[in-house]
Parts: sequence; C-alpha cells; structure tokens
Amino acid sequence: MIKLQAPAFITRHVLFALVAGGLGGVAFMFFLLEFDHYTSSNEFCTTCHSMTYADDSYQQSAHYNSASGVRASCGDCHVSEGIVMATYDHVIGTKDLIKQVFGKADYDDPAVNLLHLPDAAFAAREWFRKRDSATCKRCHALDAIQGTRANTAAIHQEETDGKTCIDCHMNLVHRHVPSEQTFKREAWNAMVEEELDLAPGTAARLLSGEDGPEQVAASEPQAEPTAEPESAPAPAPAAKLAEEPVAGSSAN
Amino acid sequence: MKASPNRSRPRPHSRRQNPAAWLLLALCALLALPAAAEKVKLDPSEWGHPAGENCASCHEKASPGIAEQWHQSAHKSAGVNCMDCHQADAADVDAIEHEGHVIATIVSPKDCGRCHEKEYREQEGSVHAEAYAIIKDRVPALAHNVTGPEMQAAGCDQCHGSRVKVRGDGTLDPATWPNSGIGRINPDGSKGSCSSCHGRHSFSKAQAREPSACVRCHSGPDSPDKEIFEASKHGMIYAAQRDAMNLHADTWVAGKDYTAAPTCVTCHMGAAGKVPATHDVGMRNAWSLNTPVSQRQYLVVLDDGSKLELPADAKPPKRGSELTKADGSTAKVKVVATPERRRLVMSTVCLECHSKTMTEGFMRQFDDVVELYNSKFGEPAAAIMAGLYDAGLLTPLPFDEPLEYTYWELWHDEGARARHGASMMSPNHAWWEGMYLVGRNFYSRFLPEARAVAGEQAAALVDAHIDGAEGHAWLANQGEGNPILGWMPPPQPEPAASADADAESTAPAPDSQEPAAEHAPDAGSAAVDAEDAAAVADAGDTATEETPQ
Repeated sequence: MIKLQAPAFITRHVLFALVAGGLGGVAFMFFLLEFDHYTSSNEFCTTCHSMTYADDSYQQSAHYNSASGVRASCGDCHVSEGIVMATYDHVIGTKDLIKQVFGKADYDDPAVNLLHLPDAAFAAREWFRKRDSATCKRCHALDAIQGTRANTAAIHQEETDGKTCIDCHMNLVHRHVPSEQTFKREAWNAMVEEELDLAPGTAARLLSGEDGPEQVAASEPQAEPTAEPESAPAPAPAAKLAEEPVAGSSAN
Repeated sequence: MKASPNRSRPRPHSRRQNPAAWLLLALCALLALPAAAEKVKLDPSEWGHPAGENCASCHEKASPGIAEQWHQSAHKSAGVNCMDCHQADAADVDAIEHEGHVIATIVSPKDCGRCHEKEYREQEGSVHAEAYAIIKDRVPALAHNVTGPEMQAAGCDQCHGSRVKVRGDGTLDPATWPNSGIGRINPDGSKGSCSSCHGRHSFSKAQAREPSACVRCHSGPDSPDKEIFEASKHGMIYAAQRDAMNLHADTWVAGKDYTAAPTCVTCHMGAAGKVPATHDVGMRNAWSLNTPVSQRQYLVVLDDGSKLELPADAKPPKRGSELTKADGSTAKVKVVATPERRRLVMSTVCLECHSKTMTEGFMRQFDDVVELYNSKFGEPAAAIMAGLYDAGLLTPLPFDEPLEYTYWELWHDEGARARHGASMMSPNHAWWEGMYLVGRNFYSRFLPEARAVAGEQAAALVDAHIDGAEGHAWLANQGEGNPILGWMPPPQPEPAASADADAESTAPAPDSQEPAAEHAPDAGSAAVDAEDAAAVADAGDTATEETPQ
C-alpha cells in the first residue's frame, strides 16, 4: 500500500484553506453558470426599457415563433457558449449597462434608440463573424439544413465555402439595417424623422447633442449581453458615423 | 383646357413657311437617327466582371428561372454576367451588399446604357420615358380619390412607372417596387425601364419584336392597340405568317429581313428601307391621340438630348430658345421636327409594302377621323366643360360629378379608341368600339347631363357650342324616315289628311332623342322616355289606322 506523505508545509490550516477554496471555487463556478444563465434570459435583457425595441422585432421573428416550438432566447444567439466565454461576454457587456445607466444618450427614447440601431447591428454582425457564427451553430447544423425549397440543401452544401451564417442571414430577427458598407447615415436619419414624425434635423441633433465623442455608439439597443469586445471601433461622434468599410468577409 | 379651333389647314402653311427648316430637319435626321441597328461599341474588356463569375452557381439553385433565362441569353454568349448589370457603387442610394459584393437590385436604363448607349439616349428622350411625368398630376384625382393609393402601385405605375423610393434602411419601398413601368423614375435619376419590353433575364430580341411586348399596357379601354392590331389586316397576316417574321434575325429591317407583316415595332421603332431603327417610340407620331382634342405636334429635340412635343398650331420654337420640360427643368432647342416630317418618316415605313398613293390615301382617312373627332366632339365637349367650370356650375374638383366621368370616357376611352382604331386600321375599333360610342355618349349622356348641369344657362353654355355646327345639323331633320329603328313616315298623305300628317311629323320630334333618354341615368329622363314611347305608340297607332285609308 502506498502511503502518501504530505509535505511538511501542508499544515492543518493550509489543508483547510485548500478545501474551503476548492469548495468555494466549485460554488463560484455554479454561481457563474447560474449567473450566465439568468443574464442570458429574455426577462433579464428586457429589464432595460431600451431592449424592448429589439424585443418587439424578435417577437415577430421565426426565432421566437418557430413551427417546431423551439425558441431561441436573447442569450442563445448573443452570448457565447461555455462558462468562460459566456462570462467574458457578460463582463464586456457590462459596458452597455454602464452606458444605459450613466450615458448621456437616452436609449429608452425610441428615436435615440433607432438612431443607434445601425451601429449596434454592425457590431453584432461583426461579433457573429468573429466567432464564425458559433451561436447559430448551437442549433443549426450545416449538414442537416434541408429547407422547404428544392435546392436549399444544395445551396448550403455547395455554396457556403468561406462564408459564415451571418454573411447571408443578417436582418433575420431584428429590424432591417443595411450593411455597413452601403449604410447611409443621412438616409437613415431621414427615415427615423419621417417614421417618428420628427422635424428635419432632429436626428442629427439627437445624435450629436446627446452623444459625447467619448461615447461608443455601438452595440446599444441590440442586446446588452452581446458585448462585443474589440470590434466596435470606437467610432466617431454618432452623427458622422458609418461608412467605414467592414474588413474581412465583405471586402472583395 | 383651351380648345383650339383646329381647322385642319396648318399643314401646307408650315410646309411653305420655312424651307431652311427642311435643311435643319435633314440634319436632325442624321443626328438623331444613326443609320443602322447599333452594335455595342464598348470594348469587350469592359464587361465580364470578375465578381460576377460565380453568381450563377448559387442562383441556378436559388432562382433557377432567371439563371436559366440568362444562360440562354445573348448576354451570356457575349460574356455579360450578373455583375456587369447589377454592379453598384456603395454610395448609390439603392446599393446593397449581397454575398460580399455591392450591387443594386434595379438595373436602370442608365446601367443598360453603359453598353447600349444609343438605345439609352433614344429612349431617354422618348414619350415612353415621360410616361410617369405625363400622368403624375392626374394620379391623385383618379387613383387616390376615386379608388385608393393602393391602386397606384397595382394599376397606374405598372405601365407608367413608379418613382422608386429607397427607404432609409436601404430597402425599396414596396409601394413603388417591384415595378417595370416604362416611365419609371429610377433611384439613379434615370427614366424608364428597359425590362418593360425586354423581359428579363433573357432579353430576347425576338420577344421584344413581338406585338405582345407592348400588350401589357397598350390594351384595354383607353388604348386598345393590341386589340386594334389583332383586328387589323396587319395583325391578321402577322398571326398567320408569324413563322415568316424572321424574329430572331440579327438585324430586322422591314422589307429586307422580313416582309410578311408589320408589328408594333415595325412602324413605331423599326428600321425599314432607309428609315433607321429608333428607341424613341413616339417620334413618328404626327398626332397626339390620347388628349381631349388631338393636335399635330412638333417634336422638339433639346440640347440635353431630351425631347418635347408642342402643338403645331403655334409657331415652332426657335433654335436656341429655352423651353421648360415636363419635369420643370429647362433646356435649349436644338432642332424641331414638324408633324409633317414625323408623318413622312412613318409613311416611309409603309412604302416598303404599299404604294405612295395607297399610303397617302390611308393617312388621309386616318387624319379625317381625327379631325372629325376634334371638330365634332372633342372641341365642343372641351368648350362646354370649360364653360361649366368657369360658370361655377361644376366644382373644380375632378370626378365628384357624373358629367366628369362622362366627359373623361368620351375623350380618354371612347375617343382615344376611335382615333387609335383609325390609325391602325381596325374598323371595329374605329367605329363600333370607337366613334359610335363617342357619338352615343355625346348625344345621349354628355349633352343631356351638361344641359342638366347648366340648367337655365343650357342654351348659352351647352347648345351654343353645337348649334349651327355642320356635324350636328342632322338634329334639325326631326321628321325624316327612320328605317334603321323601324319607323317610317306614313305614305304621302292625301291632301285631305294633310293636317293630320303635319301633326305626325311633329309628334316624333322628341323621339329622335330617344337614344339619349334611353341611356340617361336619371329618373327624369326615364319619365321623358316613357312619354316619348307613348308618343311613338300614338304615332304608330295613328299610322296603322291611317294606312288602310
């Protein structure tokens, strides 16, 4: 029989600390699991009024009302899988929370919210792209895609080299936003003004007045937890936003 | 509108007027109408966009219909791919990103014009390109008020074209798109839609040469050109000889590449003998036929390449003078083609098959119908309407009064049909579906309704416009025999019965207006109708009683 001889520095106190720390660590892991789970839920996300605008379009989408009964929650798409990445996403996402609470822009205001939507969408798309649409693939397996039309399967088998889900399937759940490459801020502003019955010029004023240059106008109304580490390239004051070509997949 | 007393003699006048204009016109013909069907001049290195090479692979699966059409097309054999037409600049208002490429859904005439420059320039200045502008002020009154704005997209704009709206989110407003109307205002500012006639994505020459290319819009009550063509000798022979039409030929010159029959294209755009082909489809039309009163028209070519039509009863605009176009912008006059010149071009097409005398005789018959319509119906009706509006007896608001519909149908539907019928040789449309209905409407609806609206002023505001006019003089012969409707005056009365006969000859007086009463919608005239019928019955009775005598 092998008898383990504990080293001399393992004293009683050390042993106790190790056990307590280990148990604490396990408990912390469970806490994180629960925390990530809770903070990925629709209920949590829509605690902020600004998120209810994203919720509206989501509730009209097939990801909310699927024929099969499967329903994707905010976090299913916008929070990475696994305790480490999920936690990371949530930590990064805190900056959205900070801006929601302390930022100068009132994202609860429908006009402000809609004016910032494109930047949020661009950031979210980039987030998906960087992760190779990993969260899509939680449910959708390329090999299994059949579709209802004759060639849907063939298209997904034969035409998707070098592409990731989000490259084609953008504007799927939330309100339509053009690609960053073709986005036109003035046209978007005019649309917001027309839709919400605002005087011409209001949109630009809302963007420049309320949004200090230090504000990162990205990723706001989209999904808080969707924090978005590096991709939101600290854009200019919102009024002048846009038009920076997206690198990577959309070039060419 | 001002009804011009178009006494049909401007022709020799203007011909004599300025011989210098003829020289100008010859020059114009050379400038505006290059000599042969145009080959694409752009260097082939300018197409075959590298980014467009892989589109088909996916689209064969995603949209096999259009992919296959393109595979079969001349575009594909020439190496023209999707991106050559659909490429866009990111700054274009309607640019979208698609599979990593910046494209536009709408391929405008300007886009097609990269290669097909001549055709683009010609259609840009044609009446087709102005189809939206021509009716844009009418649309609210008819489509919006009488029906609803929904009808603009489903009706008006389908032919006339929409003003395509790109929304702030880059999508095309479904109230304005899809649309392939021929006067479409595109996001890039260009006017028209090539696919209106050239079905995408096969863009077949043969298809566009068929009369069916025009049918989507040139059919129905107001411009039944399809029906007219089909009912004409031209259409009859075309239907029988379609196989001999050589529709797929590279060039398609009437009299050379085909001789069986003409189609719409042949006369209105096609090459024939020395007449070059053109995409300015209204260029050969001497008359305006879809107006309350037809007018012979100048074709004014402006220095920016656009064109304008002006009534020929005014002096022709001077070269270099500035004119305001339908869209409000101005341009300088480059050349003016008189209606005679336009007619000459059209007639030259006829000469490929017909003699000069036959051609001139036909044109004479056509002109006579238009002038008859103008002087007998169009001008008096327009003058009566203007008088009623001026007198405040009709509200300026259109289509809130029955008479306005009556008048609208008189010139816009029935009148246009008659004139088109005569222009393209359908006797049925010239007469039964056309001028007969014009006459019926004029006497049985328009005049009674106008008199009712005018009330006590009917004599001044309505009857003054027809009294004494040659065409309406027949109304005075109230007592004549009536074999067409089955009543004949009794045999020459005996001298003894002459008093009775006098009474009879006056009795049917209201009778001659019977058709009027028959079609008048209001109960009042129905009552009159009954009285008339009684009068007829009385007269008939008297007649039968008297006959044996």
